[in-house]
Amino acid sequence: MTTAIGQDSGLTLRHVSKRFNDDAAPPVLDRIDLSIASGEFVSIVGASGCGKSTLLRLIAGLDGDHEGEIEFDGKRVVTTDLSRGIVFQDHRLFPWLDVAQNVAVALRNAPLSKAEKARAVAEHVELVGLKGYERHYPHQLSGGMAQRVAIARGLVNRPRLLLLDEPFGALDALTRSRLQLELQRIWERERITMVLVTHDVEEAVLLSDRIVVMQARPGRIGEVIDVGLARPRKVGDREVAGLRDDIVDTFFTEAA
Amino acid sequence: MANALTRVFLPAYRARRTLPGDTLRSIGWTALPWIVPIALALLWMTGSRYGWISAQVLPPPALVFETLGALLKNGELWIHVWASMTRAAVGFGGGVALGILLGGLLGLSRTFEAYVLPSFNAIVQVPVLGWLPFLMIVVGIGEPLKYLLIGHAALVPVTLSTLQGFRGTPRALQEVAAVYRYSRWQVIARVTLPSAIPVIGTGVRLAFTKAWLTLVVVELVASSEGLGYLIVYGRQLFQLDLVLAAVLIVGAIGYAADRLLNVFERRLQRGRSV
Amino acid sequence: MSTLDWEAGTVKGSWRGLVLPVAALAVWWIVSRGAQAGHGVMVSPAQVWDTAVEQVRSGALVRALSASLARELTGFAIGTGLGLALGALLGISKLANRAIAPSFNTFKQVSLFAWIPLISVWFGLGDVAKVVFLSLAALVPVVMHTSDGIRAVPVNWLDVARAYRYGRLQTLAYVVLPAALPSIFTGVYLALIYSWLATLGAEYLLVAGSGIGNTLVDGSEQFRMDLVVFGVIVVGLTGWALNALARGVQRRWFETSRAA
Repeated sequence: MTTAIGQDSGLTLRHVSKRFNDDAAPPVLDRIDLSIASGEFVSIVGASGCGKSTLLRLIAGLDGDHEGEIEFDGKRVVTTDLSRGIVFQDHRLFPWLDVAQNVAVALRNAPLSKAEKARAVAEHVELVGLKGYERHYPHQLSGGMAQRVAIARGLVNRPRLLLLDEPFGALDALTRSRLQLELQRIWERERITMVLVTHDVEEAVLLSDRIVVMQARPGRIGEVIDVGLARPRKVGDREVAGLRDDIVDTFFTEAA
Repeated sequence: MANALTRVFLPAYRARRTLPGDTLRSIGWTALPWIVPIALALLWMTGSRYGWISAQVLPPPALVFETLGALLKNGELWIHVWASMTRAAVGFGGGVALGILLGGLLGLSRTFEAYVLPSFNAIVQVPVLGWLPFLMIVVGIGEPLKYLLIGHAALVPVTLSTLQGFRGTPRALQEVAAVYRYSRWQVIARVTLPSAIPVIGTGVRLAFTKAWLTLVVVELVASSEGLGYLIVYGRQLFQLDLVLAAVLIVGAIGYAADRLLNVFERRLQRGRSV
Repeated sequence: MSTLDWEAGTVKGSWRGLVLPVAALAVWWIVSRGAQAGHGVMVSPAQVWDTAVEQVRSGALVRALSASLARELTGFAIGTGLGLALGALLGISKLANRAIAPSFNTFKQVSLFAWIPLISVWFGLGDVAKVVFLSLAALVPVVMHTSDGIRAVPVNWLDVARAYRYGRLQTLAYVVLPAALPSIFTGVYLALIYSWLATLGAEYLLVAGSGIGNTLVDGSEQFRMDLVVFGVIVVGLTGWALNALARGVQRRWFETSRAA
């Protein structure tokens, strides 16, 4: 399922709201409006409880209960679809399958021949730098490696949109840095639209074209920031650190 | 708390505000567990009434309850319940006590374990019931037979779980004790024992289930009083109402005791991170 | 002395395990020579050995053991099959679980053997009754572990299946089943053990027919201690073999590919 660059694969959110049964509490998401162009890398940052993970699940189609509209590629998002991939914070690999089989989980319902599927799996295992580990089982992998397999699984379908829900949150700092650069490399190569949810502002600045800052109670968009820095970016870059400090100071220093 | 699979198998599942239809649904939900028992009871009653089921095969429920009531009233039931429960108590108590002792020794001393555990494991291979004929020859069919068998049934799980409890002290805690230079006895009293107690509690609960099970079998095979005896007696006279009444009581006591031990076990688990 | 010194495990411990059994055997030998010869409570190891040889040679052992095992495996198969079906139903359908599980849990509270007299009224004292009873014994753990295992499948994995558009059948076959398999296997393992335990009890109480339990009870009634001791050993060995078999299967299936 390849896509020509420039085809309208935009993601649009219009007045998206979600509340849980308790009407008294502020809604989890309050009239979110957002437009993301094809091939863009957008990060959503915010403290815990601002609804960013919930929003991602709505975009993925895992949760259909909301007000407002979510449109992707000109069609309403109602349920899950292979064109919208997702990577979770916990790798969620199946322990009874090896690396290659885990990546192939994504392809079970894909309209490809067996040979094509095998090729796709091999390509993407190599893409995330795990060539040679195809027969390993999840319990034999480190956290970082397992998360890479999860990323490969998210990409193997060639989705037009990849959602990442705090994919590096559970990893140690060193591995996290390495995988951030990997993700940047993969994005530059594949140019898939990516939406990354993270609480790490530096990660957002490092990877994104735009940053959406969300606030909690109710969950709403505070501001959308254009990053505008040249790529490739590195963790130590002065501009990266500078913008990170700005954002943190503006949004995350005062409130609780 | 929704069953995770409802999301897969009830795709229309959504969290939503309360609607009028919900009240009906929640009533239905509460009533659901009762459908099977009530349906069975109705089947039983009508079957007996219309003679589809002969009284020899399954007496009408009314008769069973009548018999139950009569037993309770004339005090005969208490003789048998008392007999069964004292046997269970003595056997179970003895088995648990010995089991903790044995398990403790096995857990604390590698030497003792090296000499004794293989033999213990070999003996455990023979199920409790396997020893019944053997013990019948050795001690006859009186009370000692029951005490020994029930005791054995309780001893095995308690020993194993005590052993596990004493062995399984988290290494992290052992190291803390080492840093503060605890003597061997201090370690046992203040680290090993407290961390072993919840595991032992679980073993005790399991032991009771087995002990109660063994009690029933032994009384079915060889006894002149007790709930198992009642069952056999009723069976031989084709008084199935008596049989069912006794079975009900066996179930009720077993259930009550199990719940009690469950509470006891949970108390012990409090504060322990699983 | 550091408290951590207890950790030292030894290989030479293996001979120490034999001390007790050898000593017991020796004591038995000595005591039985002192007592009167012939059958009775005190029987010598030699007599047990002779009986064993005779039982094996006459084929009595094979007949009894195979009868018992045949019944056990039949009951095990039936109980496991039904248990898997019922357990799967209870695990998958919240509705069915709510309707059936409370009744089932109440039923399983009653010590299994208490049902035997009733079963003997309905099914007689022979093989049919025994198999019915054994099926019940196997059914209970399989239902419990199958339904628990299925219900315990983490939501996270179900999300993955949904993200990749797995249909109901696909989710069941490729996610729920493999995830629940360890628990299901435990249930089946227990069913094997429980049905073996139940076999003995069934043979004591439903006395028509032959089996290793019958051998034991007959020996007991005839005061033939040598036969009883022989029977005990056979029962122990069979139980051990069944256990070893199940453990072997478990090790092969589950420890190669998953985390321990």
